[in-house]
Amino acid sequence: MTRGPDSNKATALMAHLLRRAGFGATRDELELYLSQGYSAVVEELLHPEGQPELEDDIIRRYNMDQNSLMLIESSQANWMYRIVNTKRPLEEKMALFWHGLFATAYGKLNHAKAMVNQTNAFRRCGLGHFRTLLLELSRDPAMIFWLDNKDNHNGAPNENYGRELLELFSMGIGTYTEDDVKACARAFTGWTIANADYMSQRASRDSIWPHGRLDWQFLYLPEDHDDTDKTFLGNTGRFNGEDIIDIIIQQPATAWFIASKLYAFFVADTPDETAIQVLADEFQRSGGDIRQVMRTLFLSDFFQGQQARLARVKSPAELVAGTARLAGSHQFPDWSTVNLAMDVNFMGQEILNPPTVEGWHTGAEWIDTGNLVERINSAALEIGDAGQPGVRAVIDRIRSQGEVCSVEELVDLCLEWMGQFEVSEITRQGLLDYAQKRGALHFDRQDQVACSEQRVGEMLQLIVATREYQLA
Amino acid sequence: MTVQVEIGYSHTVGFLANQGRGFNNPVDVAWDSAGVLYVLNRAGPEVGIRLPYKRVTICTVDEEYLGEFGTGGQGDGEFWWPSSLAFDSEDRLYVADEALHRISIFDRQGQFLGKWGTGGSEEGQLNRVSSIAFDSEDNLLVSDSLNHRIQKFTKDGRFLASWGEPGEGPGQFNMPWGLCLDGQGNVYVADWRNDRIQKFEPDGKFLQLWGGSGDGEGEFNRPAALAVDPEQNLYVADWGNERVQVLSPEGKMLAQLRGDSIASRWADDYFAANPAEYAARLAANLEPELKRELKSGREGRREESANIEKLLWGPTSVKLDSAGRIYIVDSCRHRLQIYRRPV
Repeated sequence: MTRGPDSNKATALMAHLLRRAGFGATRDELELYLSQGYSAVVEELLHPEGQPELEDDIIRRYNMDQNSLMLIESSQANWMYRIVNTKRPLEEKMALFWHGLFATAYGKLNHAKAMVNQTNAFRRCGLGHFRTLLLELSRDPAMIFWLDNKDNHNGAPNENYGRELLELFSMGIGTYTEDDVKACARAFTGWTIANADYMSQRASRDSIWPHGRLDWQFLYLPEDHDDTDKTFLGNTGRFNGEDIIDIIIQQPATAWFIASKLYAFFVADTPDETAIQVLADEFQRSGGDIRQVMRTLFLSDFFQGQQARLARVKSPAELVAGTARLAGSHQFPDWSTVNLAMDVNFMGQEILNPPTVEGWHTGAEWIDTGNLVERINSAALEIGDAGQPGVRAVIDRIRSQGEVCSVEELVDLCLEWMGQFEVSEITRQGLLDYAQKRGALHFDRQDQVACSEQRVGEMLQLIVATREYQLA
Repeated sequence: MTVQVEIGYSHTVGFLANQGRGFNNPVDVAWDSAGVLYVLNRAGPEVGIRLPYKRVTICTVDEEYLGEFGTGGQGDGEFWWPSSLAFDSEDRLYVADEALHRISIFDRQGQFLGKWGTGGSEEGQLNRVSSIAFDSEDNLLVSDSLNHRIQKFTKDGRFLASWGEPGEGPGQFNMPWGLCLDGQGNVYVADWRNDRIQKFEPDGKFLQLWGGSGDGEGEFNRPAALAVDPEQNLYVADWGNERVQVLSPEGKMLAQLRGDSIASRWADDYFAANPAEYAARLAANLEPELKRELKSGREGRREESANIEKLLWGPTSVKLDSAGRIYIVDSCRHRLQIYRRPV
């Protein structure tokens, strides 16, 4: 049984939407979204181009290492700053989704800006047609380097990219043959990067000399492309990479594969085949229009229903960025931005540097005993700082309710402020028991004000330690 | 491009080095009375392992490495976000730190002599001090970026004067960055987020402004720093446009420096020690043609600079010496590009 401090189901639903399509919402943001209505908010989220782009000149001025993005920490910090401050939450969420699916890692590339450039492509194309996205991915220098397509030559194919394109990026294992992999690889011969030899030397030696990294550019070498006939998934022709992508897009396996990944990332850690089929059908009907699939997802009963609420474990990036957004911290560049990225790293998600080409193991695997302590400590530190505007706002709101704030009001207002509208009775009772030990807050007595404000911060810290807050 | 003054590329000083001979995100340069260069390395991010990269490198314009001093930290003599440096008439080096809101003072050997400055918005307090320059009376002018004003102090930190406020009107600022003085003591300010240059009398009375947002002639995209020659021509580090513009006193563009760097001597030493990498470099096209959509985007020039090594990338300071050298601090490429102008 669940019991929420706010009986307004629309508010709870909106909070759910913003946790999934974004990184959570403050109470004020929720009010604004509620005034628009659920469907309108979904449309706004699906069209990030309608919201202003994040201006990053200030962070590049003061955090000068983020101007060149030579270092992995700088690039991770830059992404976290974007996530915390973006007006386009779904754009960043999609970028994070595609980054996890098309997992490419700095560790092999030794080129952080190449990773940033790849995520920029996910921002540009993440809600577009899957064909465009796969084409961008196939031309992305970081991917070409990561899966060795620069070593994929006419007459001497390297199958790494061709294999992973089918297995991990589009169709899933068991839906194609080994001959399809070979044909796929041959179709992508000649898709390389400019100055491949020099760039490979630099990457393998981790050379930053003499003057920092040099960006990579896609290069197509027709003379290195195998232009002979290929048979791929039952089709025969002198296929190039684009033709292969066209065939991949039409496969039901692709629709199912992408639908299942979207479901796991946006709906629930536990798969629901009926729901996934709905998304797969929309993928096929729309010809791989991701925006349309996401619209179907957000408007579906399986997404809006109770069974999807708190049905996912927050990834470290979601947890850290969401808490910072609630606290109102990191809104202006300072040197602590990198700490956001470090916290995410410590929790097991090195963004821009996933552990393998399979990406991260998500769901319950985000949490073990060590990570849980890290997650709670990080969130508690951020949300317990009464100097942060978001924390100050909840204190002011509580004070505005009256000079005395009962234990129940304290707990419920803090839960509401943290977007926790659907906590279990056990959780709420635990918070009440804790608050009860010291009784009501008194803002009517000057000697009690500081203590009362501190207790608000402590309650927020306790909330981020709850099971519900660790879930999305 | 209009080129009406003879400005030629001279050479490059620098090499990316976390410590020792070279620079790491240099942000400013100054020279003592003997002409020895002091290059301020901002480095970053502020994680433990990288803190020692923050330092002052001492070298000559002919690339003789003489040493370094300082490290990252918040104690006396340490740097967190070092932003600017300047010598007083007694060869004492003043280093601004825009994170610690303070000015630290060193002798030429890097011995810490003292510090002053406190954070805040009251008169005489600082909020991210981005640039400093001495006037002829050894008073220090400071661009107080997040207080959107210029302040003047004695060199031991006693407040003398202040002007400016947030805004877009004449005499108002939006996060001012660099500043410099001409021979008459007039003060020029890179009004960073207003995309313009402003000129003031020594007492802060507004005189003139140039620029506006854009990437055309005489337009700016977040100008970071500037210098003025005896003919009153302006040399502006047009940071967001990845160039230095030379403007006449009337604001007409006389030249545009986009970057011409060829390897420094320190870089040559590296290539000599790494022949396989150098051979691959020689075979490479270091000026690849960029995709049109990359060049034409909002970040087009930045992307060009990220791809083509010789170009300026994030110029944060420009200074002139009496011998006709123009020193451009090329922060993302960890070097100084040095040009010559007629004298």
